[in-house]
Amino acid sequence: MLVTFSYKAPQSREQLLDMIATGESDSKLLAGGTDLLVNIRNGVYRPKMVVDLKKIPGVDAITWDKKTGLKIGPAVTINEILTDANIRQHYPLLCSCARDLASFQIRNRATVVGNIVNASPCSDMAPALLCLDATVLIESKQGKREVPIAEFFTGVKRTALKPNEMVTSLHIPADKAGVRGVYRKLKRIQGHDLGIVGVAVANVGKGARIGVSSSAPTPVVTPLLPLSLSLPEVIEAVNVIIHPISDVRCSKEYRTFMVGEYTKRLWKEVIS
Amino acid sequence: MYETLDKSLLKQVGTSATRLDITEKLTGEAQYVSDMVFPGMLYAKIKPSPHARAKILSIDTSKAEALEGVHAVLTGEELDYRIGLYVVDKDILAKGEVRHFGEAVAAVAAETLALAQKAVDLIEVEYEVLTPVLNHMDALKEDAPLVHPDLGNYDYVKAVFTPIPGTNIANLTKLRKGDVEQGFVDADYVIEREYDNPSVQHVPMETHVAIVKWGLGDRVTIHTSAQSPFTVRNLFCRTFSLPLNKVRVIIPHVGGGFGGKAGIHIEPLAACLSKKAGGLPVKFQATREEEFSLLPCRSALTYRIKTGVSLEGKIIAQRMDMYWDAGAYADYAVNVTRASGYSASGPYEIPNAWVDAYTLYTNKPYGTAYRGFGHVEFHWGIERHMDLVAHTLGMDPMEFRRLNALKPGSITLTGEKINEHTGSVIACMDAAAKAIGYGKKTKAELQREKETGLKLGKSIALLQKAPAIPSNTATAAVVKMNSDGTVSVTVGLTEIGQGSTTALAQIVAERLGFRLDQVFVKVEKDTDSDPYDWQTVASKGLVLSGNACILACNDLLEKGYKVASHILKASEDDLSHDADFIYIRNHPDNRVSWSEISIGYAYFDGIGIGGPLIGVGSYIAQGLSNLDKETGQGNPALNWTFGAHGIICEVNPVTGEYALRKIASAFDVGKVVNPELLRGQIIGGMLQGLGTAMCEGYIYDKEGHLLNPSFTDNKIPTSMDLPFEVEAIAVENSQIDGPYGARGVAEHPMISVAPALGNAIYEAVGADLTHMPIRAEDVWRAMEDKKPIDNWITKTPIGSCQPWPDPEHPISSQTKKP
Amino acid sequence: MRIKVTVNNRIYERDIEENRTLLRFLREDLGLTGTKEGCGAGECGACTVFFNGKTVNSCMVLAAEADGGVVETIEGEASGGMLSVLQEAFEKHGAVQCGFCTAGMIMSARELIHQHPHPTRKEILEGLEGNFCRCTGYEQIIEAILDVTGGYEPKEELSYV
Repeated sequence: MLVTFSYKAPQSREQLLDMIATGESDSKLLAGGTDLLVNIRNGVYRPKMVVDLKKIPGVDAITWDKKTGLKIGPAVTINEILTDANIRQHYPLLCSCARDLASFQIRNRATVVGNIVNASPCSDMAPALLCLDATVLIESKQGKREVPIAEFFTGVKRTALKPNEMVTSLHIPADKAGVRGVYRKLKRIQGHDLGIVGVAVANVGKGARIGVSSSAPTPVVTPLLPLSLSLPEVIEAVNVIIHPISDVRCSKEYRTFMVGEYTKRLWKEVIS
Repeated sequence: MYETLDKSLLKQVGTSATRLDITEKLTGEAQYVSDMVFPGMLYAKIKPSPHARAKILSIDTSKAEALEGVHAVLTGEELDYRIGLYVVDKDILAKGEVRHFGEAVAAVAAETLALAQKAVDLIEVEYEVLTPVLNHMDALKEDAPLVHPDLGNYDYVKAVFTPIPGTNIANLTKLRKGDVEQGFVDADYVIEREYDNPSVQHVPMETHVAIVKWGLGDRVTIHTSAQSPFTVRNLFCRTFSLPLNKVRVIIPHVGGGFGGKAGIHIEPLAACLSKKAGGLPVKFQATREEEFSLLPCRSALTYRIKTGVSLEGKIIAQRMDMYWDAGAYADYAVNVTRASGYSASGPYEIPNAWVDAYTLYTNKPYGTAYRGFGHVEFHWGIERHMDLVAHTLGMDPMEFRRLNALKPGSITLTGEKINEHTGSVIACMDAAAKAIGYGKKTKAELQREKETGLKLGKSIALLQKAPAIPSNTATAAVVKMNSDGTVSVTVGLTEIGQGSTTALAQIVAERLGFRLDQVFVKVEKDTDSDPYDWQTVASKGLVLSGNACILACNDLLEKGYKVASHILKASEDDLSHDADFIYIRNHPDNRVSWSEISIGYAYFDGIGIGGPLIGVGSYIAQGLSNLDKETGQGNPALNWTFGAHGIICEVNPVTGEYALRKIASAFDVGKVVNPELLRGQIIGGMLQGLGTAMCEGYIYDKEGHLLNPSFTDNKIPTSMDLPFEVEAIAVENSQIDGPYGARGVAEHPMISVAPALGNAIYEAVGADLTHMPIRAEDVWRAMEDKKPIDNWITKTPIGSCQPWPDPEHPISSQTKKP
Repeated sequence: MRIKVTVNNRIYERDIEENRTLLRFLREDLGLTGTKEGCGAGECGACTVFFNGKTVNSCMVLAAEADGGVVETIEGEASGGMLSVLQEAFEKHGAVQCGFCTAGMIMSARELIHQHPHPTRKEILEGLEGNFCRCTGYEQIIEAILDVTGGYEPKEELSYV
């Protein structure tokens, strides 16, 4: 790296929260580094201190309990999601998203929490987490708080997270266990690429939810939709939540069209 | 040479010999310039221009110079040198004006890379932003800003090129054959359309890198990741007025070239930094982002084709207007224009032809050679156009091609007569067509269409290319015998992955009658010790260096026989040899071993005879001539290599998404020297062509900022993008002047992949595409009859796309603060 | 800071700058230049190595993170003066051209064989997705991997007319 910074690897959560307590924006938390280190290399971030959270015991834990649901620690990688028996069984939509995220070696490093903290509009994990009503558990020296994932994203690469806070885990409620759903994204190539659009359709029992990435400043999700909706009504419901633009990857017109097409395809696959 | 030898007599040529450099490449031992470090070595960084066109008002380097550990800071004003392959139009660092986004305006050499970057960040440049000329079609307009107002004062190669001062025209190549206007009058149909493609990046996995030491006494040593050591040396010495024997260019393993490392690029800058730093070696390696904007790309092209054709489907006349986007500097683009001009019709006979091919300056990163040298770009137009003409006539595109394809007796655009031994494009077409089951869908395919709702299209596209080389292109080979009877071969041809060294070793072993393991061809190049070679470009290496190797072997054998005839007391005519001995044919036991005579033979009494056995072979291209500047007539083609691709493509008729089921690629290679290496060239080139066809291309905003200078938004094909099935096919019509009948084929697999894809998509869903790359959205727009919109989906390479409205995180994040 | 890393079964202890990437540590501090940099941004896979048993893009790992860790690179692939079975298959199938992606490609190939001892063609394509090769078009690499995992059906690879 051509930018100079110091590296810290706290051994406990308390130590970490102390280090970032001043809340100055010149420290960055390092988990998988697949977004952070690229951004530092490109000069987007110029932190004075990089705080590696991976040495804190328990950060790589995935816990599942019938009553309390799923908890994903901040160092849990995408490939760990893909190989976790409980997640595969109870939250297949998470796996569907995870499979489409970057390349194998990136998935070995990239974390689920990092993917949402980075808050890219094209986050691949967000559509599933939005459909599954995940909660982001946050902690600072001042205490703990919980933010519903739908309120976590506040803009392009912006979140509700404050500089003195860390995400301690993601929580997915128990009542979303068994939700069937599929995520698919349109890319420029068949190989690893950022999505032009990404759509997740989930049958949450009482109804359906559709999460969409790369089609608004943040990943977005529909409210609960009745399973009885016709396809045009479903597309209408999605069109309400997206705000696509034209960029180097695609035009606004095609984005809008393809969100509709993917929605149709997945609705047929998952719901009809 | 030896082209009539029956294949069954060949022991080495035609076998899949293992690459000579395989082990070091598999173990990580192979040294590339990017791996090299020298004592005292400094690291260089450049200050890129954030503007496409701007006047440099001032550059303040004082803070950078004051930094401890910084050894040299350079700006353009200090450098009174200009470089250029054909038109000498480029300063080493921008002087007075920047001409493209990413151009270097200042450079630093420091003890570490981080320090160099820090120093570059401290350099303050004040610009006055000027209106750039971005679209090459705008560059022709009368009121267009001039990219090079001084064009009239530049030196250029006058025998071949025609820059027009006072315009943005860096070169105009003309070709006239027959009477085109009368041809259009005689034609039953006249069909005209315009085709275009954007600039693209070569993307060698190793970015450009050089380490240069300019010592006191003007002895210069250049280690560089380049294709052509002698061209680097030649242009370097011309720029700095140095004698050739004082400049040494060394090229170790090279991590890919594809034309982007032909010519001379970053070497002069590293050299000037080294000189200023008192002779310490300076390493400059482009970042991936700099590879896109500082270093050259492939030119964009707008190609207008007007074809007059008879009711029976015979082409009567064709007018071809090419507008090539040189970018800010002429580099190879003027020669791409020339080579594409004389080949502009593709492999078809056009009785009446007119070509005007312009190379146009614009304020964008400049164009250079790229695998195919213009042929990838213009075949996109020609091969889409041939389908259009066929469809207009209601003919099958393949039968239309068969009728008009070059065949023995045909006369090319430049007046060359095609012979039986030129090769057969029709044989390639038939082979590719057969491999994809052209013309009808199988039961299984129809069933699949029914089940998936996807539409299948099958298509063919043809291609041709001759090496684009000066008429007197020459090379040499030296075959040295070692005292154990093995031979070491040196040629100036660079190994950039194409496998030439291995093919040449096979040719040497074949000609000498030696075992393959007796022959080694040196991989690393060194202008001080290797014989001259013009350049490693143009698919000419196998033919020219192959012939030079054969001649060197002949020389070695002749010298060996002379010594042996003394020792064996027999006439040279009565001698023969095998891999180990020279012997009297009639008395094979009366023999002397190669190792005994390899470095001088000693008689039993100690008297010596002979000396080190060294064979030398020089070869120069035969029968080529410069083209007439007004008519384009002459003989530019060392040999034509013909080929064809057949594609089966599956398209979603609603969304435009598509996938390739199969691609079959056939080439008339004359004679296969190494099937495995050939297959690697065919499949590798095909996929690179598919990258160009599917997803690659430069995207600019309206100010001329490159918006996708990295792998984030400039994708290249991955393993997942390989067609479901690939087939490589060899046709063998021997080339008379090729070694054992072989001709070059390194560039060709990339050509015409894009139009084959375009044609297949048309056959599948009727989407009629005239611009590439072909993205799903383009297919959708074509199906829906929607116009390309004014952003990246555009018929011009200029877009106006907006980044996400967040000033803190611009898309082109590599841009340094001005 | 001072770090201690096991690379190819050998322990290295070095003082490093805290912003140093694992890639630069391997190449510049240890002289293990077999691992290449193709983009520096985690896209091309040329710098793929094993880190604590998993493949990673070493340009996107800090050397500091590797303190106490285990790294395997291309230099550790051959052993006892013999190419590995995988390397031999790459040789046999002509799976190398310029060679710049080869180190990373072999690392990813090894990982995918570990994941799928008898991979399908599709699993191979997915396993190599993160490793760009601009020369070969991947086909001969895929065949090499199929060959070492028992899925290769010998055929005439080049058709002649």
